[in-house]
Amino acid sequence: MGKRPKLKVTGKKKPKTTQKESPRKDSPEKTSPQKGTQREEPPVFLARRRSNMPPFKDEHILLIAPGSQMTLAQLGLPETFTPARFRFPTRMFPGQKMGEYEPYRIRERHQTVNTSNGNGAQTTDPPKTDVEMKDAESAGQDGTGNNEPTEKTEKPAGDSADATDKTEAQPETFYEEDVTSDEGAVYPIVNGRIVHWPSFYALLTHVYNALSPPFHTPILMIGQPVWTARDREMITQFVFEKFKVPAFNIMDSALATMWGYGVPTALIVDIGKTKADVTAVTDFIPNEHGRGIAMKGCGGDAMTDRLVELLGPKGFTREMCEQLKRSNIAEILAPGTPLPGAAATAHQGTNPAAAASTGGQSGNDLVPRGPGEGTQTGTDTNGGEDEGVLDVAAIVSGDTTEYLAKIEKEKTTKKGGAEPKQKNAPNHQKEKATFQFEEFVPLDDDNAPASGSRRYIRHTREIEVGAERFLLATPLLKVKKRLTNGILEDLATQIHRTILAVPDATKRSELWDSLIIVGCGSRVRGFAQALLGVITQKYILSPSATIFTSEIPSAFSTPLPTGGTNTPAPMGQPGPMYHPAAHGVNPLLVAATHNNPPMAGATPGTPGMDPNMSAHHRSTGHSQTPNSVKCLRLPDYFPEFKHEGNRNAPGASHGPSATQGGHGAEEATFLGAQMAGRVIFVNDQGATKGFMTRVDYNENGPSAIHEFALA
Amino acid sequence: MNPSNPPQAAEYGGDEVSAIVLDPGYSTTRAGFAGEDAPKSLIPTYYGKYNADGQEKLVFGDDIFVTPRPAMSIHNPIGKDGIVEDWDMAEKVWEYSFTSRLTGTKPGNPFLNGLNDIPAEELPTEMEVELEEKSLADSPLLMTEPAWNPAKAREKTIEIAMEKWGTPAFYLARNGVLASFASGKASALVIDIGASNISITPVHDGMILKRGVQHSPLGGDYISSQIRALFKKNSPQPITITPHYLISSKTAVEAGQPPQAKYRTYPADKAPDASYRALLEERTLSEFKECVVQVWPGPNKLSATGPTGASNEEMARSTPGRPFEFPDGYNQVFGVDRFRVVESLFDVKAAIPDPDSPVPAPTQAQTIPELIKASLGGVDVDIRPHLLANVVVTGGSSLLYGFTDRLNHELMQLFPGPRVRISAPGNTAERRFGSWIGGSILASLGTFHQMWISKKEYDEHGANIVEKRCK
Repeated sequence: MGKRPKLKVTGKKKPKTTQKESPRKDSPEKTSPQKGTQREEPPVFLARRRSNMPPFKDEHILLIAPGSQMTLAQLGLPETFTPARFRFPTRMFPGQKMGEYEPYRIRERHQTVNTSNGNGAQTTDPPKTDVEMKDAESAGQDGTGNNEPTEKTEKPAGDSADATDKTEAQPETFYEEDVTSDEGAVYPIVNGRIVHWPSFYALLTHVYNALSPPFHTPILMIGQPVWTARDREMITQFVFEKFKVPAFNIMDSALATMWGYGVPTALIVDIGKTKADVTAVTDFIPNEHGRGIAMKGCGGDAMTDRLVELLGPKGFTREMCEQLKRSNIAEILAPGTPLPGAAATAHQGTNPAAAASTGGQSGNDLVPRGPGEGTQTGTDTNGGEDEGVLDVAAIVSGDTTEYLAKIEKEKTTKKGGAEPKQKNAPNHQKEKATFQFEEFVPLDDDNAPASGSRRYIRHTREIEVGAERFLLATPLLKVKKRLTNGILEDLATQIHRTILAVPDATKRSELWDSLIIVGCGSRVRGFAQALLGVITQKYILSPSATIFTSEIPSAFSTPLPTGGTNTPAPMGQPGPMYHPAAHGVNPLLVAATHNNPPMAGATPGTPGMDPNMSAHHRSTGHSQTPNSVKCLRLPDYFPEFKHEGNRNAPGASHGPSATQGGHGAEEATFLGAQMAGRVIFVNDQGATKGFMTRVDYNENGPSAIHEFALA
Repeated sequence: MNPSNPPQAAEYGGDEVSAIVLDPGYSTTRAGFAGEDAPKSLIPTYYGKYNADGQEKLVFGDDIFVTPRPAMSIHNPIGKDGIVEDWDMAEKVWEYSFTSRLTGTKPGNPFLNGLNDIPAEELPTEMEVELEEKSLADSPLLMTEPAWNPAKAREKTIEIAMEKWGTPAFYLARNGVLASFASGKASALVIDIGASNISITPVHDGMILKRGVQHSPLGGDYISSQIRALFKKNSPQPITITPHYLISSKTAVEAGQPPQAKYRTYPADKAPDASYRALLEERTLSEFKECVVQVWPGPNKLSATGPTGASNEEMARSTPGRPFEFPDGYNQVFGVDRFRVVESLFDVKAAIPDPDSPVPAPTQAQTIPELIKASLGGVDVDIRPHLLANVVVTGGSSLLYGFTDRLNHELMQLFPGPRVRISAPGNTAERRFGSWIGGSILASLGTFHQMWISKKEYDEHGANIVEKRCK
């Protein structure tokens, strides 16, 4: 890789660090070597260690989970597991030389400029935080961290402190970072599949270099189910030969999720960007047959597409729809819930006030501005504008915290006045709701220093939407290739198919009761609930009333499903989502009674039959499924991985890259990766062939990965 | 740590480059790496065809079960007798079976995949080499075939493997032989109950005894047709199967009550073809076979009288019925009928007549006992006892509940003298993928190396070499 712009740490005041240094500086805060040394050394299985390899330690384990949109990575396992510390967009830009790829979009500009001769004169730091460093934020600044997105001004580096010392005019090719578009980007992973190897390798190298692990660092990669055996071999080869790692393994993402949940048997639905994977795992073994791999059109993008379809005619851009989807007002309602103001929905036009309002920056004229502050009154437009644009000079010169606090105060008071009265009504009863839309707007004001690099600000405004926000899972009209009724139904069909394909029929009922829904696409409010609703509508068997009323012996008290308090409740809203008819019926009881002859008076528990016949009867488990369907809940051991954690807190989405903040249970896969990393590299140390060592690689070549791969 | 790990290479004396084993069947196609214990890739041999934007599109794999497409029709490249009919499509389906999970698709030129906007003159030249690469360029391929595969079809198979996929080495093995290898036997009487066919293959020292090979169409699809016939005659009302894709939601109803479901309709020009519906009905029928259907375990036929004097049918009637719910919510308890639908595999008189069915009524010679008799009649008297002591049962439809018990009784009745011993793996996967597993074992044997037909030999001798080398 040629020239790579440095990563910029989110904090403004933080001195610039070079790329290699930054993570290293940050990492001690969480992985804390002092703590690490205090930890008891795990027992070392010398007999099984094939080389004289020193044992691996928690702080030296590199986890990489590539995804279509984001690649999660983390070096070192913290004491208590947290969501991934680093997130890299899974995209690369063609570099200067053919075949080379850069992590950032760099634009060439030929002009005479005053270039700063400080560090890194040629490149500018990305105004957008491409790599999120939580440590830096949390430790670095208090008031200016991610929690107050609206106040954050992303400044290009050219004008930061060191750039001002000596500048001279010279004609030069100037490289600048372009944050607003990802034009020309190469996406190495599409639908989970690696479609472009050179850029995928470049991405891995970028991740590796950015985290800059010491030599004795094993890598655990979370593999997409869609990767073929050959793909895994190619990755193995690359990792061993390029990074010279001592040990490596690839773990199937579904399996990693299981580790995160700590259950041996479950059905995992992983909703990604453009695809979903449905995997039945029984006793920690993913069932390859009947697995729903990379189901196209079932990812989060499908929901955005639907919003674009609905709201596009009203002037919404795709980015707006994306942020609307991520906001807390977008919600999938349980089947049968009436839409608020349903009658009006169909004909709801663009808000006239919004259409009339043309105030705002250039380039935004076409966009209807929601009746937030900006459209309250005509004269107030500037006020709204001021809110987004911070006086950079004030920040640079003055006391940042104080200034930002002041702004914030002003804003809240203003907002308080404008807040609609419906405030306390639940979202699904409000006919209209607003969300905060953030975007980068080029700052074209006159006082920009002539550094040549463009300045951007994060601009926030409120946009109001109607009942469309509840329709994101409804089927697309435009898609001609499918006839299905939206992504929930596709998923339900696949789940049904996947579970029926599990050869061990006795496990099927358990699988239906152990749904795990992960993946960022599932963060949309009400998603899990709605999926359960669709399954209930279409697949839940009705335990025929006659069988139940007549056959339940009075000795049986009707048990609660798997007993009261331990029942894993479905995600999200309280109240288990049972089929009304199945409510309160133990699936085992269903199976048992289904086996009883309708006429014969059987003793409880023993299906009455001719003793000669008993050998020819199926086990009671082998009945049709599902009798019930439930979601599993992530154990509470890791407070950072909470269901519905702080996601959707107002402003939790952070601009176009809005994947920061508020990661919770949907990233259980990464939690499982951390557990697996600790177990296979630290606790097990290869005693059970939990990873492939360099020696294995040298002896057997890349195809030996299949003997180790956790899939 | 992980019990799903494939068998260690050392145990098999395996090769560095593991061969790919491809076991094409009528209903499913299995593919995986040699040396593993189950095929990684299992896809339906059926494929879907539909039109979108004026172009004909093909759908392979499990997707056909999940996503209905506008005016999609379902086809199968393999004929009812297990012999390939449409070679172009067979090649595509088979190729999909290993490219989807094993080798990956051919690395298409990323600069041309539409995601990147690069001027033509900047296209790197080294990519062109890769484009030439064929899908199996670095994996030997072992394929299976039914014992009655004609020479033409065998030659065509090696032609595809060598020329279209570019495999460096190839072998074509009989699935009967492989199934006997899978149970660790070199000589066996292999009874394979598939979807479209049942076949009896006598194997002696790893070779099929051609004159003893018997097959008939009374496989899983025939059983489905019997179940349909039963549904038609059902009282109080005939049962129609409405697949899930035609239902948007159902309501719980009492057993035997008419269904109350909300149906989904598709505009006439978009509604999937009848063949699509048939395919999905078949899925409900497989569920029915799994959960309800039962083979009368014997001794004797269902219609005969048992040792106690009561008729077997009465006995069957007294066993508890099994309930089944259809996708539209209709549910019913099936009593003795669930034995009847499979009885005609053994007793042709018990077949449920259905004049409208496209499946012709079975003849006595097609039943399993008759086939076994004919098969053993075609082999040397001396090895018959040995074969009977090594009966291997394989194929997905043999998983019908009580099948092996009944088979055992039938064999004992037919051949009272010699010892009859049935070996049928209890593990579902081992039963369904018997011939694939045998192929996996065979291809990973170090001694198998000299058996491969190399690309060079093929180039020298032409497709006919398969007749000489793969006996």
